[in-house]
Amino acid sequence: MRILIVDDFSTMRRIIKNLLNDLGYTNTAEAEDGNSALTALGQGSFDFVVTDWNMPGMTGIELLKAIRADDRYKTLPVLMVTAEAKREQIIEAAQNGVNGYIIKPFTAQTLEEKLGKIFERLGAAA
Amino acid sequence: MNTVADAAGARAALVEKLQHALDALEQGDEAGWRRELDAIAAWRTQPMMQGLGRLARELAQTLGELPPTDAGELDDACARLDHVVEMTEQASHKTLDLAEQCRGYATQLKGMDLLPEQAALVDSIGKGLSEMALAQSYQDLTGQIIRRVAGIVRRVHEGFGALGLPPPEKTGTSELAGPAVAGLDRNAFSQDDADDLLSGLGL
Repeated sequence: MRILIVDDFSTMRRIIKNLLNDLGYTNTAEAEDGNSALTALGQGSFDFVVTDWNMPGMTGIELLKAIRADDRYKTLPVLMVTAEAKREQIIEAAQNGVNGYIIKPFTAQTLEEKLGKIFERLGAAA
Repeated sequence: MNTVADAAGARAALVEKLQHALDALEQGDEAGWRRELDAIAAWRTQPMMQGLGRLARELAQTLGELPPTDAGELDDACARLDHVVEMTEQASHKTLDLAEQCRGYATQLKGMDLLPEQAALVDSIGKGLSEMALAQSYQDLTGQIIRRVAGIVRRVHEGFGALGLPPPEKTGTSELAGPAVAGLDRNAFSQDDADDLLSGLGL
């Protein structure tokens, strides 16, 4: 399981990386916005994307749309981890095919639960 | 009652002006009817002009009440906010470094022969360190808020520039600068500078 962590704040990338390590996901890479995330996706094979929403350059929602519009990645699971907490935003993310949505600040338990839920759903669909 | 009387008066005045304009037109007095129509037009725009005048006075008053700032100060304020984001980022990384290091020690301890209560304590320490690391996410959240505020300040600054308003006059009071910001506070003293100065003063 190779996971791409996308956030413009290096502290948050590191925190998410550590939490994922604790959960046993040790194969991770980082990108600081949607554009560099798409470059990373093109270079290596990833099985999962964890992305922030509000980033300079390409935002997380634009990244999500780009992922869903590309035949290579359209089934790639995307978990959004963001401070954006408006109802309309959550709906927008869902309508664009997000697999999970975590609002910052969050706990390790929330991350574990949402990941579990996503894998459970993907397992049921497969 | 007053508004009814005013409206009646205004109607009578309008009728009179229109009558004058019509008379002038019938008599071939072009300057005359134009003058009457201009008077009507001016009369019609008067409430709008009064409203604009009031807005302008209110704007001037509000600007007068703002603390004296100029373009340089707003730029400086934004740069300071950016610096806060960088400082908290560095401090958060330092905390994360230490938390990771200590978690490593805790893991090493767990590999040793420990009494059950000792093992429980090591577990608690590890958990505490994880929570400490997660709490560093405040840096992302406060950083986002600070960047947003800096963006608003920059837009206000641009808005003032577009209005072409002269900067309010500065008052002579000097404020305390607070922590020195690298690149902004060129005259800031390091501890070494301060020590040198103090020893120069015989302290």
